[in-house]
Amino acid sequence: MTIDRQQARRAGIGVGPLGLTDPSSAEHGNDFLSFAAYDRVLPKAGTMTEEIVSYAIDPATQPDEQADVRDLLAQCGLDYEIGVEAFVVFRRQRRLIACAGLEKNILKCTAIDPALRGESLGLKLLTEIVHLAHERGHSHLFLYTKPDNVDFFRSCGFYLLAEVPGSVALMENTPIGIRRYCDRLQTQRRAGKVIGSVVMNANPFTRGHRYLVECAAAACDWLHVFVVAEDASLFSYRDRFALVESGIRDIPRVTLHHGSEYTVSRATFSAYFFKDKGIVGDCCTAIDLLIFRNYIAPALGITHRFVGTEPFCPTTHKYNADMQHWLREDVTSAPPIAVVEIRRCVHDAVPISASEVRRLLQAGDLARIRGLVPPATFALLEAKYHIDRSSAA
Amino acid sequence: MRIMREALAGTLESSDLMVRIAPRAEGLEIVLQSEVIHQFGIQIEKVVRETLARLDVVDALVVIEDKGALDCVIKARVQTAVLRATVAPGDALSPRRIADAPVDWSALS
Amino acid sequence: MKLRRSMLFLPGSNAAMLSTAFVFRPDSIMFDLEDAVSLREKDAARILVFHALQMPVYRDIETVVRINPLSSPFGLTDLEAVVRAGVDVVRLPKTDSADDVRALEREVERIERDCGRAVGSTRLMAAIESASGVVNAVAIATASPRLIGIALAGFDYVMDMQTERGDGTELFYARCAVLHAARYARIDAFDVVYADVNNDAGFLQEVELIKRLGFNGKSLINPRQIDLLHNAFAPSQEEVDYSHRVVAAAEQGERQGLGVVSLSGKMIDAPVIEHARVVLRRAEASGVRK
Repeated sequence: MTIDRQQARRAGIGVGPLGLTDPSSAEHGNDFLSFAAYDRVLPKAGTMTEEIVSYAIDPATQPDEQADVRDLLAQCGLDYEIGVEAFVVFRRQRRLIACAGLEKNILKCTAIDPALRGESLGLKLLTEIVHLAHERGHSHLFLYTKPDNVDFFRSCGFYLLAEVPGSVALMENTPIGIRRYCDRLQTQRRAGKVIGSVVMNANPFTRGHRYLVECAAAACDWLHVFVVAEDASLFSYRDRFALVESGIRDIPRVTLHHGSEYTVSRATFSAYFFKDKGIVGDCCTAIDLLIFRNYIAPALGITHRFVGTEPFCPTTHKYNADMQHWLREDVTSAPPIAVVEIRRCVHDAVPISASEVRRLLQAGDLARIRGLVPPATFALLEAKYHIDRSSAA
Repeated sequence: MRIMREALAGTLESSDLMVRIAPRAEGLEIVLQSEVIHQFGIQIEKVVRETLARLDVVDALVVIEDKGALDCVIKARVQTAVLRATVAPGDALSPRRIADAPVDWSALS
Repeated sequence: MKLRRSMLFLPGSNAAMLSTAFVFRPDSIMFDLEDAVSLREKDAARILVFHALQMPVYRDIETVVRINPLSSPFGLTDLEAVVRAGVDVVRLPKTDSADDVRALEREVERIERDCGRAVGSTRLMAAIESASGVVNAVAIATASPRLIGIALAGFDYVMDMQTERGDGTELFYARCAVLHAARYARIDAFDVVYADVNNDAGFLQEVELIKRLGFNGKSLINPRQIDLLHNAFAPSQEEVDYSHRVVAAAEQGERQGLGVVSLSGKMIDAPVIEHARVVLRRAEASGVRK
């Protein structure tokens, strides 16, 4: 037998997870150990009685499949999530034994029949869901899991981004994702003692946003502004970014950054985009804030984060409150970041907010919007969002 | 060969590896993760580089999650990823499309 | 004379199995590119098998590859890969007629010339999986000198016959037809896989039956079945002793240039001698039956 010994060891023939004995003794091939090891592998790929059939389903159009998935998730103590657009399911003799779901690029509802938990089934399930995601155009994936499962997902090619001990962890499926992003940020680093930051959705950009950036820039040696990139808001990212860009162009010592998967995205902070439905997870803010503190702030040398006071939106209000905890307290080894709340700018005795603008737009009250937003935003509302609505109606 | 799109090949299972290849403006970048990186990292990377060179792939980002695969499995998965990645982005990546793609077997040996 | 009792079946897309299956020492290893490989992985499995075939560890085991049908979009590319990689035997699935074999043979020969492989060195085997294949078994078995055997594949066959797998009655005619065709063509005959890998008693019962019918061996889906099968095919000590005497008498007869061989005063025919040699080959490979 001329197998290279090092290769053999690497393939697990000597010491690896297959548990086979040394190839020289395995050459006789018939010891019980070898069979036992092989038995564990074989049923995955094609015997008729043990065969696991794996395929993708669309839960919206396959109610029977969806019902089985719900049952398995319930059995595993997990909730079925409405937003999941596709599942990979494994069946053995018609019985559903494992599932994993995708909502855009986020892995959700991953479960394996408790009786069949073993690493090999999990690895196969993750392989299938990663391939399905790729076919659906998502190569950069995220998942939330319990900290206890981090090691398992690590063996599936997922890397830890942030963890709230005892509660939740966020992972991504590349070893170079956040690192590459921070490398790019680092090229925008500016010298100074006080380096500020603002993260805004600007849905749409109001005079309130402008005021916040002005105040923050005045207080800093340099200010970094991020626009949330997730396209899940009324106004498209393209429009939001363009309005912020034109709205703050004249303010000195400011860098405007495109948003990313790592700042208030569907992945880092999915609750934000559900806020109209009143769902606010306790831990979601923590993950987003920890990523900001551990990766983004160090890359740019950020020392301060500025935020407007939030009188209306409960999600944003909670986010601001959590900021004080996760950015400043001793919860991670990264240096603390000062959180500065700036009182909202007021128009006609009412604080200006983007949610108020959206409410007025809904009500068709363009006249009152004019005072709340810069001319560029108003022009866009009038041209695109308002007219669309009336012509549609 | 030019990497036209991101492609994926292989599995996360033991004795296998998952290869992800993506377009890159200039040069090769290989990111290797392996359970046996200390013993075999250099050898694995050598196999990957040789395989890419045989296929004339000069610009690519290659991310590898190795699970203790033999050299010939590494070769096979890298080649599969490259062949999948050279299908034009507009084309659907159907099995049929891949089946029809001509393969130069001598470049794969 | 190559012994082919066990043909271990491996999904071509499974790297772990391809990397380690040689340790089980079946008589032949069959890498599958057809039904065990999903559409998505057809290209990946083909490339993986292309490399597995060239692994030094498979040099001293007969390698067989089940390609996709030539009528599918995958079959011809499969063939290009495996002939170039030096496969010993190409297994053609769903063989319905002698023309299927001849079409395969033409392509194999073209590829052999293209890649500089000795013409004729790639052997073939045909899997019969339909009523049409069973009816044409003789024509199929004699369609090419490259054929080393024909195999019955039960799963598709019983569906074509509008029945399902049971105690073996449903396969009785097909088994006999395939076997007779193979014996007529002087090539090997292989029986169906036994799918219930946890049922050793059932497996052995089926092995007893097909051995009695005269099959050379069986396709296997679990390495655990290899030893069971080899032991069942192993001769008893008595058979071995008798076969030794037959072969010794035959050799003596040959040395003495006698036209007739006799043992204990009885004349021995060529088929008896041939059978004795098979018995001794089996004993050499796996000892006597335990």
